[in-house]
Parts: sequence; structure tokens; C-alpha cells
Amino acid sequence: MLSVEKNRRLTQVGPGTPMGELLRRYWWPIATHDMATRVPVKRKLLGENLVLYRDGSGTVGLLAEQCPHRRAALWLGCTEQEGLRCGYHGWRFDAEGNCLEQPGEPADSTFKDRIKATAYPVQELGGLIFAYLGPSPAPELPRYDLFVWDDAWRDIGHAELPCNFLQIMENSVDPYHVEWLHGRYGTFLRELGGKDTPLPVVTKKHVKVAFEVFEHGILKRRVLEGHTEEDEDWKVGHPLVFPHMLRVGAAGLATFQIRVPMDDENTWHVWYQTYRPEGGAPPQPEIPVYEVPLYDEKGEWLRDYVDGQDIVAWVTQGAVADRSKEHLGKSDLGVMLLRKLYAEQIDRVEDGEDPLCTFREPHDVIDLPMEKDKFGSAVEFRQLWTRESSIRYSPIKDEIFALFGDPVPSWV
Amino acid sequence: MSRRAGPIGAAFCPGCGAALDDPAAFVQEFWVGADRHFLCWCVRCELLCTVVIAAQLVSHEPEH
Ligand code: FES
Ligand SMILES: [Fe+2]
Ligand SMILES: [Zn+2]
Repeated sequence: MLSVEKNRRLTQVGPGTPMGELLRRYWWPIATHDMATRVPVKRKLLGENLVLYRDGSGTVGLLAEQCPHRRAALWLGCTEQEGLRCGYHGWRFDAEGNCLEQPGEPADSTFKDRIKATAYPVQELGGLIFAYLGPSPAPELPRYDLFVWDDAWRDIGHAELPCNFLQIMENSVDPYHVEWLHGRYGTFLRELGGKDTPLPVVTKKHVKVAFEVFEHGILKRRVLEGHTEEDEDWKVGHPLVFPHMLRVGAAGLATFQIRVPMDDENTWHVWYQTYRPEGGAPPQPEIPVYEVPLYDEKGEWLRDYVDGQDIVAWVTQGAVADRSKEHLGKSDLGVMLLRKLYAEQIDRVEDGEDPLCTFREPHDVIDLPMEKDKFGSAVEFRQLWTRESSIRYSPIKDEIFALFGDPVPSWV
Repeated sequence: MSRRAGPIGAAFCPGCGAALDDPAAFVQEFWVGADRHFLCWCVRCELLCTVVIAAQLVSHEPEH
């Protein structure tokens, strides 16, 4: 149980809320690279309605949705050689929000110099476009390893999920759910479908889990049945990267799950994959982007695979999970630690300090820890993950199988 | 489920006595068997601790 008031404090993300102010200290993916084109599109981040575009000179801009003139939506606009022109009366803005033109005003008017659209800085990295909505000066955009490797293939899946981001993040410090939601429930669905082989890997029982706060967030370790503290699941572990990502994978396959709060009740989930076999991957011309479907042909939540099961668990907790009605036990310690970490970092920001994972120095790459042999075997984990995660919707799935050359597992 | 300790359970920081109903403080209830635990983080002294409201106090019996 968490009080209603403390739950609200941890889940509201809009401007002026304590969590909203903390989250505004970070760069967030606002779009995949293919979304910024000459056609302006609506985006939503931290409760703010925004418009993203790429003008004729290639500059990407992110403006508040409402035009400063008479508040028509700027997605109803034309991208010009420089900037975005509102579709209603033709006012034109650049990516800094400066008003460049007010065609209806007298030629000698200086009115435009006193008009500023709300504009936010954006940067492109690793096939994603990142935005910063917080106070100046913005920190450096963290160059996490997966975003910058030049010898990896990538693909990016994404979906908008109808629930608050916090319950999704809590899943990343909840190792026990793996053996139940994916191990037991996933196998139960296979049984109903007439398959009598349980899934490997995710059915392994947890003997011990540990969490520690470290410079990149929370490092998660586990010992599974039949394994020891010498295995990499314990010795190395993998991190929840504060405040918004899970790093998961095994040798050659490293992924981020990025949880982007659109508003209190919606989260843009990005599955960011890198494929980097021993010796590196050949150059990739473009990073493929795909939408992860949420429903089957009957309109039911898709849950016959690992990521689908996670999604349904998160969404059925409610648009914002009511933590005043939950019953936590000892196996929820990771979840409690994460909530406490958010509470503590909110307080840091209120004290005028930089929160955890703020980078002020320019840097080439930030390396994150992650086990190579996961759940006992990198190959087994890759065989599972390339089939049972959202990768199953990747347009380059067959090329990925060929890239690793892992044998087709018997359970398929 | 006992609510004798009240909805907050731990009302004050065991370290410095600051009120834990301060919105910025963190108090999280969880259960260990019949014992009600509160993970508390005090925003004033930054102490992280667990307050246990035990259902019973169990001791050992020395040989006699
Ligand atoms: S057993 Fe955990 S939510 Fe039901
Ligand atoms: Fe999961
Ligand atoms: Zn205290």
C-alpha cells in the first residue's frame, strides 16, 4: 500500500508536478527517425501537445501544438525551406520558436519580434529523435552504448500503451514475474493451444535476486535454480537505466526498452534492438522501424509472446495503478527501491540539484553493464528473444536469424 | 488486516523525528508473514529504514 497522495506524486507527469519536474531534466525520445518529415506530425510528451517537423533545409523542429496567433494547431501547417508555417494565417516559425513572418501584418510592423512560439531542442541519435523539455541549460544527451556502436544492426519497434509509465518501469525491477507471467502463464497459453512443450529460459525458478542503486540506475542480479553466484546473471546483472529504460539481452543481442510518458495515462513504448555478432555486423543502410500490434484479429490483447504478456499485465493494472489498494510482499523489494529512488530524485530536483544520470560533460559513449551469458546460455536466450519478444514483428527478422546463425530451437 | 497502527503506520522518522506525512517523504507498506513493515525514507535526514509492526515478538528458549 502506498498512500493516494504519494501515488499521485509518483505518477503525474505534467508541467509543475513533482515527477513531471524530475522527468523534465532528461532527454526523451520523441519520435523515430522516419517520423520527422516535411509533413508535420502531432507528438505528446510529459502531458504537452507538440508538433514535430523537418523543414526544407533538414532542420528538425519541435513546437507546442497551438499557434501563438489564434491557437490553431501547427500540425495544420506547411514546412517551408526554413521553418513551419501555420496553416491558418501563415505565420512562420523557426525551430527556436522565433516568428519569422506574419504575412497579414503591415510590412513595417515589428510585431513579429515580440512573438515567440514554445519550442524545444531536439537531437538525433541512433535512429531516434530526442527532445528536452526542461530548464536551460540542457544537460548533454547521454550517448548510451547501444545508440552509438558503429558495427551493429538495429531495429526499432514501438507502440502507444494506455497506462502510466511507472507501472511499466516497476516491471523492470520485478524479476519474479518472469517465471510466472512468461514461464507459467506463457506455457499455460501454449497448453491451451495444444503445444505441450514449455518455453525454455523463462521457466527457470529464481533462487535469489538483488538490487543495487548505482551510477546508471538500479543494477539487477539474479541466481536461478541450478546456477551459482559465478554465473553472469549474478556477477554482472543488467540495469534499469534511470529514469526510463531497461537494458536487456545477451551476447550479441542488446536492447533497450524505453518508456516515454506521453501523459499520466499513456506511454510510448520503444523496443530498441542492436544486433552485433562476434566481429561486428556489416553496415546497415537504414534502421527499420515497425509498429508493435496490440490486438489480435478478434480485438483481444495479443499475449501469445513475452512482450505481449508484459503489455497486458501493465495495462490491466489500470490507467494509473491504484497503489493504495495493492499488497506488497518481500518479493516486491525491487519495486519499493525504485519508488524510493524516484521520490529521492524528485527531492533532489526540488533542492535545485541535478538528479541521477544527468551528464554535463561531453562524452563519446556511456558503457552499461549487461551479462553475456543470460539465464545460463547466450544462444538459448537469443533463440528465445528473437522469437518471443517484439522482434517477431521486425521486418528484418530473417536477416537477424541469419546474422547470428543460431540453430532453430526444438520448442518452436 | 490490522490497521491498529493507523493508515500511515510510521508517522515519524525514527532517526530524526521529522513527520513522514510530508509529501516528499517516502513510506511504503509491505508484509512479511503477519508482520507489517514500512520502508521509510526521510526527506530531512535521508535515513532509509524499515519500521516493523510485529504481530508477535518471538524469542528463543534457552535450555534449562
Ligand atoms: S499475483 Fe501479482 S498482480 Fe496478481
Ligand atoms: Fe516480462
Ligand atoms: Zn529523519
